Amino acid sequence: MKNVLGTRHGLRTNRSLTIIAQDPSFQIDNKILRATIEVPAEELSPGPSGYRVSVIDYDATANVLYAPLELNSGLDENYPDPFADKSDQELLDNPGFHAQNAYAIVMRILARFELALGRRVAWGSSGHQLHVAPHAFAEPNAFYSREDRALFFGYFEGVLDGRKTSQTVFTSLAHDVVAHETTHALLDGLRQRYLEPSSPDQAAFHEGFADIAALLSVLSLDAIVRAVLDGKPDDRLIDARFLTPEALIDSSLMSLAKEMGQELSGIRGSALRQSLKLEPGHDYMNDEAFQEEHRRGEILVAAMLRSFLDIWVARLQRVGTISRGKKDRSLVVEEGAKAADHLLTMAIRAIDYCPPVDLTFSAYLSALLTVDREVVPDDRYGYREALLRNFASYGIAPSSSADVDGTWRRSDRDMVYSRTHFDSMLRDEEEMFRFVWENRRALELGEVGYIEVQSVRPSTRIAPDGFVLRETIAEYVQMLTLQAQELKDLGVDIPDGLDHWRNVTLFGGGTLVFDEYGQLKYQIANHLLNSEADIGRQSQRIAHLWESGFYADPAVAASRFAELHMARAMADRVSL
Amino acid sequence: MKPSRVTIRSYQVGFGDCFLFSVHYDNGDSRHVLIDFGSTGLPEGVPKTRLKAIAKDIQTVTGNKLTAVVATHRHKDHISGFATNEAGTASGDIIAKLQPDLVIQPWTEDPELEETATAPRARRGRKNLSSAARHVRTLWAMQQVAAQVWAEAKRSRSLRPEMRAMLGFLGENNVKNLSAVKNLMTMSKNKKKNKYVHAGTSSGLEKLLPGVNVDVLGPPTVEQHEEVGTQTSWDNDEFWVRLAAADRTSPPSGMSAKPLFPKHVVNREKYRFPVNARWFIYRAKRLRGEQMLRIVTMLDDALNNTSVILLFRVGGKSFLFPGDAQIENWEYALAQSNVRKLLKSVDVYKVGHHGSRNATPKTLWNLFEHRSADKHDAHRLTSLLSTMAGKHGREDNSSEVPRKTLVSKLERESTHFTTQNLAANDLCFQVTFDL
Ligand SMILES: [Zn+2]
Ligand SMILES: [Zn+2]
Repeated sequence: MKNVLGTRHGLRTNRSLTIIAQDPSFQIDNKILRATIEVPAEELSPGPSGYRVSVIDYDATANVLYAPLELNSGLDENYPDPFADKSDQELLDNPGFHAQNAYAIVMRILARFELALGRRVAWGSSGHQLHVAPHAFAEPNAFYSREDRALFFGYFEGVLDGRKTSQTVFTSLAHDVVAHETTHALLDGLRQRYLEPSSPDQAAFHEGFADIAALLSVLSLDAIVRAVLDGKPDDRLIDARFLTPEALIDSSLMSLAKEMGQELSGIRGSALRQSLKLEPGHDYMNDEAFQEEHRRGEILVAAMLRSFLDIWVARLQRVGTISRGKKDRSLVVEEGAKAADHLLTMAIRAIDYCPPVDLTFSAYLSALLTVDREVVPDDRYGYREALLRNFASYGIAPSSSADVDGTWRRSDRDMVYSRTHFDSMLRDEEEMFRFVWENRRALELGEVGYIEVQSVRPSTRIAPDGFVLRETIAEYVQMLTLQAQELKDLGVDIPDGLDHWRNVTLFGGGTLVFDEYGQLKYQIANHLLNSEADIGRQSQRIAHLWESGFYADPAVAASRFAELHMARAMADRVSL
Repeated sequence: MKPSRVTIRSYQVGFGDCFLFSVHYDNGDSRHVLIDFGSTGLPEGVPKTRLKAIAKDIQTVTGNKLTAVVATHRHKDHISGFATNEAGTASGDIIAKLQPDLVIQPWTEDPELEETATAPRARRGRKNLSSAARHVRTLWAMQQVAAQVWAEAKRSRSLRPEMRAMLGFLGENNVKNLSAVKNLMTMSKNKKKNKYVHAGTSSGLEKLLPGVNVDVLGPPTVEQHEEVGTQTSWDNDEFWVRLAAADRTSPPSGMSAKPLFPKHVVNREKYRFPVNARWFIYRAKRLRGEQMLRIVTMLDDALNNTSVILLFRVGGKSFLFPGDAQIENWEYALAQSNVRKLLKSVDVYKVGHHGSRNATPKTLWNLFEHRSADKHDAHRLTSLLSTMAGKHGREDNSSEVPRKTLVSKLERESTHFTTQNLAANDLCFQVTFDL
């Protein structure tokens, strides 16, 4: 078959585009640090508007639409990068470049998720194309809105540290902000119930995970790692004494934190900066000050960043020393960017191994460890050791229902497979539901409650031995609505003041992972009320919802929740 | 001299508060305290000169002398009546001539605090501020933001009419009312007679009102507030300061906003946006409206929570005037056991914040021991409500003011008076309490 270019070669798969590496205040020799990134090549209409992202540059404050950027068609032979040779001022003054910057970073994060999970990944909002508004309104704010199928990026007047005049700050030009919001949209697509009110952990997870993805995305750029390493980007060698986890925190990450969000300081206390302030060796999880969801998210970010440094340093052991304790700078940079990229892949892949409701940091850690064990059973790179140690130093232990090594237990129950066809289970939720139903006893689903299969998704990835590993991931959710007084009989604690006739919904659910032969490999579940631990979890969830005012008044519950989200969006700008 | 009678005049100001609290003594003497005087909208048929008419009525009733003025918080609907004009003929000028011996305002109005908090260095975050000054700076920034939102709502051609009305109302109510603020600061002539109070301080009223006990139950200071462990989203000081400085497009009201990139604006044919962009533009406009509404609502709540809460006790009866205090302000008072004890015996309750859902916490309402369904109960709780429906909040999310469920509770369990029952030409209703 010939393609449109009249040749029998495949079309090019990637397009290179210039972006601002972190944000315009991150400069080297008074020039904005840039990067060229690869994004999937695709057919584009003006916007750019592609198969997953549609940039519409509408400004609601000024009520104007800016001209769309026209990148050339994905069917052309070459894809020139229109801003490669433009001056810094031209980049700042041209809304087309802002559109390109946002488009490219969103697509890069999307591609990262798809590569990690081995399948197409949907946005949390309906429809295929997510709208991106690079100058949505005059407000120091950026967010993902499921209902509006969009990422909104605001702009505002800001004063850079040490300067007198103010200048316009565009959140769509900040790599970490764009990556953060994109991650919200993708995580929402993978686990839609994570935006529902549950535990402090779950509320904190969306923020923490979006921060992690954003930071690792920034750190996976060679240009960034090179720039922050020890302040001498042009030297060929680097002294090994700069290459310990402690030294890397002091030099690289601290200087990155200082650069990041200089112009956004005060609005985003910079996730990185906040997390670096958290010294390991303290039980943050049970600390009163870290129950609030934004602060709590920092714990997760801190544990991941410290793991990243350990992994980077471990990789450097394999990089030889050139002369008198010095190593080749390019290799050090490359290993750093690779470590970030690798950890990001793990972080994303772990979502497939998380329960669909009531997520805890402990469960996420077990998911991370399991993902790694699947790929590297003997832990020869020490990733699991690094994760366990660093998470423990912030008070996060693996899930109590996990195996001794912290990974999820393999399912060893006998399942009924004869009533379902695996090939249709791969894509058919009805068939998957039949499997769940036939096995409700083996899956310990209990006798009561409504059950629904939420998704069935294939996952394909390449194992280290080069073979293709295929899995199928299904999520089911259980719901049980009871009056508060009935819960008491089940042992669930009811907060003082909650009316006894009030309806309360409990959630349970699990993720089922099937191997390539259709056998159930893992059931990662939070059961409704099977054990004391489940009952405790339900009590805690209700107590948390009660404290956040969720049950305050049935008529206002819905709008209350909207307000909670607003409060969170407001604080977002502080913790982002 | 002993107090023998208390009268309360509740003036018809539409959406707003204006109460004249008068203590009458057995020797024929009377002392008068004006609690708030403002309006953000009059009912149909009420003449525009209403505030001035009220000021004149107060002048007559008090015999040209006010003992004290209380401005519970700086919202327009509580202080616009204090505004003056150059000719010296405005309602605020008339009140100033009644020479109050004392002007009571919340601690957040302390001009010294405001000066430190809003100095340029403080605004740029280059100065370490006390927690009190930081809070005042936040409030200052919020008012700037309110002005911006109000301007944006006024010039916007894309908001739904109801949204515009709500934004306009809240924006206007939260914008700083300069002449009224200045008048309150200066009307007592002697600076020492301005009291900026917080929970637990003396009101200074006892000396002026023989036989009357007055407790200040709110607002708490930041330290007191933190003590009870509340932290609200709006209390995020840096954020508001930045937000206040953020709006580069805000032109003088009425004009259209300047675009960021004039050379790149898409020309519209007959005001129509390109077809492909319309769905999204519609959503973005709607979102912007909701977002501005949430922002001004937060400002509104924050200022309401600076309300002075006063409890008057005289001759075995107690009268509660909480301004527009909402739950965050109340939390501090309600956490003190001695205050809870005092609140149990409240006889007269000025309904908080015009009857909104957040201003009469259940924990407060349940304390009132004089609540009674029996209309003939001699000790039955009296409730006074100054409000106007259709101005604030909306029914679709139960935020309408007055909140219907609250009004029916007030009607059921108290002897309820509301300004909504006044005819357009009635200036006020007066309730008398014999002691
Ligand atoms: Zn009011
Ligand atoms: Zn108010």
